[in-house]
Amino acid sequence: MSAAISLEHVHRSLGGEVILGDVSLSIAHGQSCAIVGPSGSGKSTLLNLIGLLDEPCHGRVLIGGENMTGASGAQRAMMRNRSIGFVFQSFHLLPRLTVLDNVALPLFYRGMPVPRARCAARRQLQLVGLGARMSHRPAELSGGQRQRVAIARALVGEPQLLLADEPTGNLDGEAAADVLELLKALNRERGVTLLLVTHDPAMASHMQRCLNVRAGQVGDAR
Amino acid sequence: MLAEHYGPSASQRLAESIANLGTMGRRAWLGLLGVAVGCAAVVALLNVGHSAALQSRQLFQGMGSELLVATLQRDSETPAMTAQPPQLSAVSPLLISAAPLAMAPVEVRLGAISEALMVTGSTPALATVLDLTADQGRLLSEHDAHNAYLLLGAIAAQQLQASVGDQLQLGRYLFEVIGILGPIGYNPLLPVAVDDGLLIPLQAMRRLSSAPQISAVVALARDSQSVRVAADELAGDLRMQLPGAEVEVQVPQQLLDGMASQARLFSWLLAGLGAIALLVGGVGVMNVMLMSVIERRREIGVRMALGARPVDIAWLFLLEAVILASGGAVLGSMVGVLAAWLFAWLSGWDFALDPWSIPLGVVSALLIGVFFGLQPALAAARLQPVAALRDE
Ligand SMILES: Nc1ncnc2c1ncn2[C@@H]1O[C@H](COP(=O)(O)OP(=O)(O)OP(=O)(O)O)[C@@H](O)[C@H]1O
Ligand SMILES: [Mg+2]
Repeated sequence: MSAAISLEHVHRSLGGEVILGDVSLSIAHGQSCAIVGPSGSGKSTLLNLIGLLDEPCHGRVLIGGENMTGASGAQRAMMRNRSIGFVFQSFHLLPRLTVLDNVALPLFYRGMPVPRARCAARRQLQLVGLGARMSHRPAELSGGQRQRVAIARALVGEPQLLLADEPTGNLDGEAAADVLELLKALNRERGVTLLLVTHDPAMASHMQRCLNVRAGQVGDAR
Repeated sequence: MLAEHYGPSASQRLAESIANLGTMGRRAWLGLLGVAVGCAAVVALLNVGHSAALQSRQLFQGMGSELLVATLQRDSETPAMTAQPPQLSAVSPLLISAAPLAMAPVEVRLGAISEALMVTGSTPALATVLDLTADQGRLLSEHDAHNAYLLLGAIAAQQLQASVGDQLQLGRYLFEVIGILGPIGYNPLLPVAVDDGLLIPLQAMRRLSSAPQISAVVALARDSQSVRVAADELAGDLRMQLPGAEVEVQVPQQLLDGMASQARLFSWLLAGLGAIALLVGGVGVMNVMLMSVIERRREIGVRMALGARPVDIAWLFLLEAVILASGGAVLGSMVGVLAAWLFAWLSGWDFALDPWSIPLGVVSALLIGVFFGLQPALAAARLQPVAALRDE
C-alpha cells in the first residue's frame, strides 16, 4: 500500500531564500503527525506543499500514491476537494455565508445538488456539536465554535487527509483542548491521516509522530 | 478524476453571484448605473434617430412621391417659351397631369401695403398636380387664360391683408384676386413656394416680363412605381418639343432615398455616441469588479483550498459583471425608450420604436459586461492559492 503522503527531494525557495531544501518524507495512512519547529522555519510552507496549495521548485509530491507534479490548477483543485481537508489558524470561514453553507461549500464545488450537500453539512455540524447554530453567520460564533465549523467543513468531503496549521493558535486553553480532542477522535475513529502544525510541545506529544522543521530540513524529532 | 460532474450547477453559480452583489450594496448599484446610462443612451439615440427619419419621411410623403419636377434651361437662341408653351396634355399615359411654371419677382401693391413677391404663371393643370384648393373664391380655369386674375398663396394673402375681389397692382397692371389658396406647406422639391407667392395664368406673365421663361414643368404620375418611367418619357417629350433647351427631370424618390440614408447615418452617429457612454459604463463595471477581486482575495484563496478550480473562480466574478450589465441593460432600455418618447413628444413628432434599438442596446451592454468583466475574473482565477490565502 502506498503512503498517504510522500515527498521526494522536494525543494522550495521563496524570494531567493531556500525555505526547504531536498526534503524527502513519507507519512502512512491513518497516522497522526505533529510538525514543529521555530517560527519562520517553513512549517506552513511544508504543509502548503502537501496540501497542493503551493508547488515545489524541484521534487515530487504524491498524495495517496498519485503524483501531483505538473498537475494543472484544476486537477490540483479537484484533488484538494476530494482528498484533503484544511483547518487554518484564522478559521477562514466566508463571512457572507451561513454556517451551514460554509460547511457545504466543498460539496457545492464537487457538483453535489444543494439539498444533498446541505444535508451532509448538517450531519457534520451535529457531529462537531454545532447542530443548533447552522443558520448563523460565522461572526456570531465564538472562536472555538468557528474552528469547529472549519473542522466540519474540512471533514464534509470525507477526505483521507486532514491538514491543520496551528488550529488552536487563536483559541484559549479550554477551546484549544476541545479542538485537539475532536481532531484526535477523528484520526482515531475515521482513520484520517492528520498533520498538525503546532508550537505547543504538549500538543505535539498527543500525536503518534513528530516532524521537526529546521534550517530547511525536515526530520523526525523522536 | 471525473471532470464532467465537477463544479457547481449554473443555477447555483447564478444564485451565488446575485447574493454576492447583494452584499456589495451601493458599489454594485453604481456599476449597474454606469451601464444603464450607456444602454439608455444607445436605445434613446437610436430611437430618436428612427423617429426623426420617420418624421422627415412623412413630411416628404405628404408632398407626394408621385411628383416629378423637370427643370428647363434655355440657351439664348431659343424663342421665349411662353409664346409657344409645350403641349403637356398628352405627354405620357403614366402622367395624370403636367403644368409649366414661369416665375418672376414682382412688386405687389395693395393700398398702402407693398411686398416683393414671387409670381408664378402656370396653367389650371397646376391645381391638379399640386392638389391646390381655394380657401376663398375659386381656382383659375381654362377660360381665365387671358384675364388679369390671380390666386394668392395663404401666407401672401395674410401679408397683403387681401381678400377676394381686391385689385392688386403688379408692376404696371392691375390684377383681380379671384381666390385665396389653402396652405400646402413648404415642399423643398418644388422650385416655387406656393404659400408665399401668387399664381396667374401663364399667358398673363407677358404683362410682367418682356421675355418670360418657362423654367420648370411639374407633373403628377399615376403611381409611385411608374414615376421613374414617367420621368424618362417626360424628359424625352420635352426635349423633342423644346430643342435647344436643357431638360433635367428630378424624381422625389431620389431625394427621399438620399434623405433616408442621411437619416440612417445620423442614427448611427447618435448610436456611436451612445456606445461611448456604454464604454464608460463598462469601465465602471471593471472598476467595481477589480475592487471586488482585491477585497475578496482571501475568500478566493479559501474557495480554492476547498476545491474551486480557476474556472470556477472566473465564473464567480464574470457572472457578477454580467449580472450587473444585465441589470443595467434592462434599466437602461426602459429609461432609453422613455427618453426617446419624451424627446419625440416635446418635438411634436410621432414616436416610433426602432425595433432594433432594444436588442442592440441590450446585446451591446451584455458584451460590454463580458468584455470588462473578463479581465478582473481572469485576474482572480490566476491567483495562486497560497498567495491568495496569505495574511496581509
Ligand atoms: N511569499 C514569500 N516570499 C518570501 N518569503 C516568504 C514568503 N512566504 C514565506 N516566506 C518566508 O518563508 C519562511 C517560512 O515561512 P513559513 O510561513 O513556512 O514559516 P512557519 O514555520 O510556518 O512560521 P510560523 O511558525 O511563524 O507560522 C519565512 O522565513 C518567511 O519569511
Ligand atoms: Mg506558519
